[in-house]
Amino acid sequence: FDLSRSYGSAPCIPTRTVHVSSLKIRKTNVVSVMSPAGCPHVNGFKVDNWKQNLRVIYQCFVWSGSAETRKRKAKSCICHMCGAHLNRLHSCLSCVFFGCFTKKHIHEHAKNKRHNLAIDLLYGGIYCFVCQDYIYDKDMEQIAKEEQRKAWKLQGRFFPLFNPSVGPSGVGEKYSTWEPTKRELELLRHNPKRRKITTNCTIGLRGLINLGNTCFMNCIVQALTHTPLLRDFFLSDRHKCEMQSNSCLVCEMSQLFQEFYSGHRSPHIPFRLLHLVWTHARHLAGYEQQDAHEFLIAALDVLHRHCKGDDNGKKANNPNNCNCIIDQIFTGGLQSDVTCQVCHGVSTTIDPFWDISLDLPGSSTPFWPLSPGGDGSTLNGESHLSGATTLTDCLRRFTRPEHLGSSAKIKCSGCHSYQESTKQLTMKKLPIVACFHLKRFEHSAKLRRKIPTYVSFPLELDMTPFMASSKESRMNGQYQQSVDVFNNDNKYSLFAVVNHQGTLESGHYTTFIRQHKDQWFKCDDAVITKASIKDVLDSEGYLLFYHKQFLEYE
Amino acid sequence: MKMEDMSLSGLDNTKLEALAQDIYSDLVEDACLGLCFEVHRAVKQGYFFLDDTDQESMKDFEIVDQPGVDIFGQVYNQWKNKECVCPNCNRSIAASRFAPHLEKCLGMGRNSSRIANRRIASSNNMNNKSESDQEDNDDVNDNDWSYGSEKKAKKRKSDKNPNSPRRSKSVKHKNGELSNSVNADPYKYNYNTGINYETLGPDELRSLLTTQCGVISEHTKKMCTRSQRCPQHTDEQRRAVRVFLLGPSASSLPDADTMVESDCYDASDGQVLMSRLQWDGSSDISPSDSASSKASTNNSDSKKPKKKKKMSLGLNSTGGGGGGSGSGGGSSSQSSLVGQSNRKKKPKLPVPPAPSIYDNLN
Repeated sequence: FDLSRSYGSAPCIPTRTVHVSSLKIRKTNVVSVMSPAGCPHVNGFKVDNWKQNLRVIYQCFVWSGSAETRKRKAKSCICHMCGAHLNRLHSCLSCVFFGCFTKKHIHEHAKNKRHNLAIDLLYGGIYCFVCQDYIYDKDMEQIAKEEQRKAWKLQGRFFPLFNPSVGPSGVGEKYSTWEPTKRELELLRHNPKRRKITTNCTIGLRGLINLGNTCFMNCIVQALTHTPLLRDFFLSDRHKCEMQSNSCLVCEMSQLFQEFYSGHRSPHIPFRLLHLVWTHARHLAGYEQQDAHEFLIAALDVLHRHCKGDDNGKKANNPNNCNCIIDQIFTGGLQSDVTCQVCHGVSTTIDPFWDISLDLPGSSTPFWPLSPGGDGSTLNGESHLSGATTLTDCLRRFTRPEHLGSSAKIKCSGCHSYQESTKQLTMKKLPIVACFHLKRFEHSAKLRRKIPTYVSFPLELDMTPFMASSKESRMNGQYQQSVDVFNNDNKYSLFAVVNHQGTLESGHYTTFIRQHKDQWFKCDDAVITKASIKDVLDSEGYLLFYHKQFLEYE
Repeated sequence: MKMEDMSLSGLDNTKLEALAQDIYSDLVEDACLGLCFEVHRAVKQGYFFLDDTDQESMKDFEIVDQPGVDIFGQVYNQWKNKECVCPNCNRSIAASRFAPHLEKCLGMGRNSSRIANRRIASSNNMNNKSESDQEDNDDVNDNDWSYGSEKKAKKRKSDKNPNSPRRSKSVKHKNGELSNSVNADPYKYNYNTGINYETLGPDELRSLLTTQCGVISEHTKKMCTRSQRCPQHTDEQRRAVRVFLLGPSASSLPDADTMVESDCYDASDGQVLMSRLQWDGSSDISPSDSASSKASTNNSDSKKPKKKKKMSLGLNSTGGGGGGSGSGGGSSSQSSLVGQSNRKKKPKLPVPPAPSIYDNLN
């Protein structure tokens, strides 16, 4: 009986003590007497066409779907006795009367007219004046839920993709917390030992056995299992497998999350994962090229292919139109603009990407100077003049306009001939998880070596200067990008860092991961230890994983 | 306060601020009310207690932050004896050796095709122990995981007395070293000079069995003269032969270690080879792998009967050049060999037909 599968990672019920004067919280065995916590006095109400009446009340006075209903509610829902429109306004269920709760105007009405039930106009709760408490009647709550859903749809509210109840089209259902059935409640009451994931909890962290030089795999697994969206997807059982055989990598991934959240302290042995990856990505197998970055790409590719079973993945056969969880999280769009130097016509292509590979200073291709005609942005507070190379420097270099030279002329459709051109890369669409790959391993014809240049990377990163849209603004003459503090679309937070120690021939991979907002841990195969933010930021960095800070509604 | 339309333009700052403050406090109050309702419902429906947990559980899962231990409070490096079952061949493998095993098992390593080749060769010859034993040795030589082993193997060739009937020393397999009990030179292989158990008395048998493997070969009816950790036979077999020869009371082996503590020699490979004297192609290592043996098996072009998926990694970064790749090793002391071991390997000689030493057995 694994609660974590349906319960999500943390219960939604608050832990603080709440002092509520007018709500009676009686810890009696109400549940065992009647189910749910209803009351007998609703029976007087449940006659004739009560369902429809109740629906109308919810539609007009509680859940306002459209702008008109909202206006009407605002204007007409006022206390018939004192004119207040807040003060916990209630509507009588038996007649058209609005009365505020705070001044007990609705209570007076109930006493005078013997109308025992009223509804709170803000949250739709039903109050019984005989019981003197809010009651929860199953049938009435059902109607309330349905009307609420309709109202949300009318409002045009779409829920973000990370919401477990969202379907492929993005039209959401309001997220409802899990509610146990009577039987489940009984079981839970009899079994009080429960693991609660607090900030000081090890659950979610687990070591991984090295299967023989497989730290390249372990480090990527740690990064993936600590990707919040991916975690939420798997812990809410969103993968519906359509593969006949036992060889679905997504299922194995799901199993991996179960292992990480199982509470086991001994390290997990990811032998099945290795087997699956090697059978599905033959080019990886064998011990010649065990690079963590390659493994990441191969693993994402296999996962993406195996996601066909999920609702989101139905269009998986068309790689440009897939909506599987891998694409939703990891796929970004890279825009490449090739500008003809003669006619200045621009040819644009957009390619999907899962990661950005960045050249480093110290490689055989020169790093400095970055392209002239600066973008002027010191958004992330760094500049190369002050010392260490920064991640922002690398990104600026990545997105600089590059002259392609006379030996690489492009056929220009405007000029109808081969012309010299410049090429520039910018981000058209940023993925939710951005992975930066620092190209530390040089494999040129002459030499093979590791570039150990320290590159400083920030905890928080703003990608705005590297966006295609920013480039357009620059081209339109706005050279100084004013920082829009309210635009949160491009803000990213670091959550995992993969490091490589050693030489090109023999080395070892470890990962720093972030858990519970600001706690960092070092994952070294089977050994997980606590790490400081300083440890993380001082490390060399090979793969840097950033997560979008604010997830917007689509 | 009746709800009415109101223009904001005529108001001064203080009024606007007061309005904003009103709206703000209304919002906060509404939010608090919502929270109250949630709690009230939870209590009334009876699930409010779910938020509680017991102290013991909380303590159990607390993060530990002490030197020398991990976050679970465990000492490092205690996980050497983990095992797993290979999904391909269903054998139990030491976890830290699983990757090299899997590489061979799936026919993906550089050497797998050579091993497969040899199997074909041996199955075409007489099916006697000598051939498979030679394969066995070749497997040892094929080993990438311990670079030093080949050097040692060559060295030992001259040391051994090829006609010695016994190998009584049991040697611990250390990382990077070849065990004394395996002779690297196929031509000098002699473990089956063997002993006929029928000629020995119980005392002799008993003393023999304290130092030797003793498993009786089905073909030659002789006892194996290798050490008690002989990789060709299982502990079960050794136990069985002791019961057979000495009676049920003698079923325990003095050395109960079933897992050979070795990072370089895959003991189970030997057993499998032994059980496959009749090559019937039922293993996953298909002989068709050998078709690609000329090419380096880096390309992993093994023509397996399974459906092969075309790898199309269309989603590469276009940030210039192929991604760099470094070989990430494990934390063991083995260095990962990037193309070096090929040069240092002995050239493989063709397997000869029945060497003359075996004529003595009959």
